[in-house]
Amino acid sequence: MMGEVTPAVTVDGVDMVFNAGSENEVVALREIDVTVQRGEFVSLIGPSGCGKSTMLRVIGDLLQPTAGSVEVFGQAASSARQNRSYGMAFQSAGLFDWRKVAANIELPLEIGGWSKPDREARSREMLKLVRLEDFADHYPWQLSGGMQQRVAIARALSFQPDLLLMDEPFGALDEMTREYMQSELLRIYSELGTTVIFVTHSIPEAVYLSNRVVVLSPRPGRIHAVVDIDLGPPVESTDSAKADEIRERESFFEMTTQVRAALRSVEAGTPGRAGSPGVADG
Amino acid sequence: MGERMNGLIPPVVFGVAFLAVWELAVVGFGIQEFLLPKPSSILEAIGADWSVLSEAAIQTGIIAVSGLVIGVVIGALLALLVTRFGRIGEAATPLAVALNATPIVALAPIFNAWFGITSFRSNQAVVVAVVFFPVFINTARGLLEVHPDQLELMRSYAAGEWSILRRVKIPNALPFFLTSLRLAAPLSVIAAIVAEYFGGPQNRLGPVITQNASVARYDSAWAAIVMASILGLVLFWLAAALERLVPWTQTGGEG
Repeated sequence: MMGEVTPAVTVDGVDMVFNAGSENEVVALREIDVTVQRGEFVSLIGPSGCGKSTMLRVIGDLLQPTAGSVEVFGQAASSARQNRSYGMAFQSAGLFDWRKVAANIELPLEIGGWSKPDREARSREMLKLVRLEDFADHYPWQLSGGMQQRVAIARALSFQPDLLLMDEPFGALDEMTREYMQSELLRIYSELGTTVIFVTHSIPEAVYLSNRVVVLSPRPGRIHAVVDIDLGPPVESTDSAKADEIRERESFFEMTTQVRAALRSVEAGTPGRAGSPGVADG
Repeated sequence: MGERMNGLIPPVVFGVAFLAVWELAVVGFGIQEFLLPKPSSILEAIGADWSVLSEAAIQTGIIAVSGLVIGVVIGALLALLVTRFGRIGEAATPLAVALNATPIVALAPIFNAWFGITSFRSNQAVVVAVVFFPVFINTARGLLEVHPDQLELMRSYAAGEWSILRRVKIPNALPFFLTSLRLAAPLSVIAAIVAEYFGGPQNRLGPVITQNASVARYDSAWAAIVMASILGLVLFWLAAALERLVPWTQTGGEG
């Protein structure tokens, strides 16, 4: 990445304090500095209560930080939200029961003022991307959890945002479905070149998906360590099953060990040693 | 289709058996007809009084349905207003709860004084007051109990308040609203008849029941009660059918 290119996300000195000044004051984030380059896949990992979901919401302008600034593609986070610069997916698929699958995917487009033919064309395209062409006219509750999550991803990507914010999107799925969804997400990610920020508390998930894993420590949420992930050459196949080969590699185990060590040192309260602090430091 | 027919068999069999036991019990134990008339006597009375009964049922039905519609509209609109402006909601909720604890039919004589003892308006007002509350409370819950993730999603799409109301809150509240309608529909008939006991025009089911009972024509009084329960059932069925028209009510809200 060259220095002149505007990064996808710049988080600069962000503090997030809830109920400031009152008895139940919570410092959720303290002095967070992160830069995410375009096309990067960055995971936020940490024990529960470390503020990783809060950080995602601050980036998405769903929460306003008490201090510091957030820029998304060179714009203030609030303008980025108004301009629909990012798509979002949660642990609950968050599909609307009263809308069929295709209509769910078209919802953000409808709000964005797209014409009906354009919306329909795009939702067909998106259903193809997540391999659910045959389910356009189903209601969400007629689908399995994994399928619902794929619809949620299709919806988040429907207006082709350059940034995807995901908050434990596969947290509620069983292990088999989860691994399949991870491979599917990587396939979609490499097809579209979208920047992804991904909150998880699964070490293998973070390692498998990411270019970089940011380890947060709780109360107050701080960046504890940043681990660069290198799993070796990518698998050149669109077949998700073949992509699983990566999970068997020696490098995969080395990387999970590194991330695990960083998380352990969070619990022990010692400063993180793993990874390259250069990106995290302001 | 066959399955639906099969589903009808148990209640029909039970109903017929119930009527048969009733009939035999009255005959067998020599129960006086003024205490409990036989089903066959009630049926006979329905036939004999048909013109009076059908007119009374239609008039009471008009009061119940019109009061139901007015109460439902007020309840739903107020729920929209109160949930839109949170402050009003906080201020109005204790009052609404206090109102709900008041047995509304106890207000019937007061409404007679307000609207005139011979006016149908006082009966209608009782129905409106009785129906309003469950609709208001349930609809407000449906408007408020939207999954937080869904609201965050809408904000991430830069959707405005009106768009969120129209695309998320109202559809989310619809199953709650329809459930309250199913509760309110039979309530409206009960409220209309109790209100009619206290006043209003005389060609209604309420007065027909009290007048016949006062002259010991219990079979005719029972005939009017049967008409009232048919009226309540019809309204309940209509509301339940409306609920079934909306596919996502099977999962959303509370069946």
